[in-house]
Amino acid sequence: MQYRGAVLGGVICQVFFGLILIAVYRTLYAGKPQSMPLERITSYVWLQQAFFRMLLASDPDLLDKIRTGGIAYDLCRPLNLYGFYYVRIAAQKLTGSLMRAAPMLVFALLLPKGWGLAAPATPAGLLLAAWGLGLGLLCVSALENITMGFTMRTLDSRGMQAMLNLLMMIFSGNVLPLILFPDSWQKVITLLPYAQLLDAPIRLYTGEAALSEAPGMMMIQLGWTIVLTALGVLFWQRNQRRMEIQGG
Amino acid sequence: MDTIKLYLHSMRMLIRSQLEYPASFILQTIAQLVMEGGEMLAVILLVDRFERMNRWEAGDLFFFFGIMSVTFYLTECFGRGITGNFPYLIRTGQLDTFLARPRGILTQVLCSAVDPRRITCIAVGIAALVMGCHLSHVTWTVLKAALFAEAVVCGFFLLLGLFTVEGIFCIYSVKSVELVNALTYGGRSACQYPVDAFPRPLRVLFTVLAPFALTLQQPASVILDKPLFDGPVWTAFLSPLSGIVVFALVWLWFQRTMRYYRSTGS
Repeated sequence: MQYRGAVLGGVICQVFFGLILIAVYRTLYAGKPQSMPLERITSYVWLQQAFFRMLLASDPDLLDKIRTGGIAYDLCRPLNLYGFYYVRIAAQKLTGSLMRAAPMLVFALLLPKGWGLAAPATPAGLLLAAWGLGLGLLCVSALENITMGFTMRTLDSRGMQAMLNLLMMIFSGNVLPLILFPDSWQKVITLLPYAQLLDAPIRLYTGEAALSEAPGMMMIQLGWTIVLTALGVLFWQRNQRRMEIQGG
Repeated sequence: MDTIKLYLHSMRMLIRSQLEYPASFILQTIAQLVMEGGEMLAVILLVDRFERMNRWEAGDLFFFFGIMSVTFYLTECFGRGITGNFPYLIRTGQLDTFLARPRGILTQVLCSAVDPRRITCIAVGIAALVMGCHLSHVTWTVLKAALFAEAVVCGFFLLLGLFTVEGIFCIYSVKSVELVNALTYGGRSACQYPVDAFPRPLRVLFTVLAPFALTLQQPASVILDKPLFDGPVWTAFLSPLSGIVVFALVWLWFQRTMRYYRSTGS
């Protein structure tokens, strides 16, 4: 809460982007209405914008430690390195996004219908969406730790990390809501790990996914979380065995 | 003339220094390609689903996207000094060293950085333009080509001006002001679509305050033979100049602000 000005500026910026996107979709809708109601898209956009922080890479400290060699101290500590950074990243993402999401969602709920965030399709949908968001958080943290694993190998974080982050932006529905992708593509991309972060919970919220689909979606989320965490742990263990430390 | 020579010389040096790490450079360039490719994919998919936007058809929309993208990333590439770490220079007090040298501040800032990684973004923009021309059956004439060049150059200055505003705010507040991003990056996101897609307040914002509509879109629409704003042909050549006007105003504002500059350095 130390940088209220910066947070507020960020929120206003994010709201502005949301409004631009919605204006574009509204105009497109006016030209050729779709089977899917417009409110679903506007809600999608607001939820994406609100929890956008969750997708951003968030731990500059660890990057610095890798680059400067400070990670050697961490290796000496009697703790599970992967677990430590996993929890740290998850906590950063959670607090960062909740702080920004709260004011934005209030603002979006106050906007008129067709511009703002619609109420959840069903109360159960809201609960499931919150649950799904939690699973998504676990999943995205696991993904980020894999990215970090690459950084430990190559030391230069910018290329690989930028690439993985961009794939995330596209396939998580931030650039274009996944529900606007061609229907045949959606069958595949909703199975990718990137769709588990925000897209799956948002579908539950807007009612795009029926409640009966929820258990299946959660299984996919859980499955990816387990797979990605396992991969990350293995990757980090290998890295730790043959880590080259920078610095002197 | 001297200034231009100086600028070109620093660009050459900076590009050479960036190419010293080819692997990192190539990876980052590819990352840029994925980024801009993703943006373009979004437009393609939208066109695929909705077919048109008001009176603009697929080709027109690609053309608008292309002209915005080419202009924006040319600015990001060659104006990197101002679009990139200008606020950083002010925050750390590095701007002080510039004050001691016998050249304009903005010139020196402009000479301080270049970002050749953006070349792939520019390439995506060009691809969009080519697709747009093809689908909309644009017949090129010398006049149209001149108009296009004018639009890109004026758009370059418009964007430099808008990014300089961020630097100006930074001189007052030291902190970098994210809010200005609404005009620069927000302008780019919004104005890759024709401005008549937006409700009135946004339309006024992007026509008067940050005149992307006049600088880039009016020429683009004239090239497509579907003028955005009606008027005789010569006005199409006049409207991009608004970008230069914005830059000039911001430049004057910047000169005034420099009087308030209190260094943060020690």
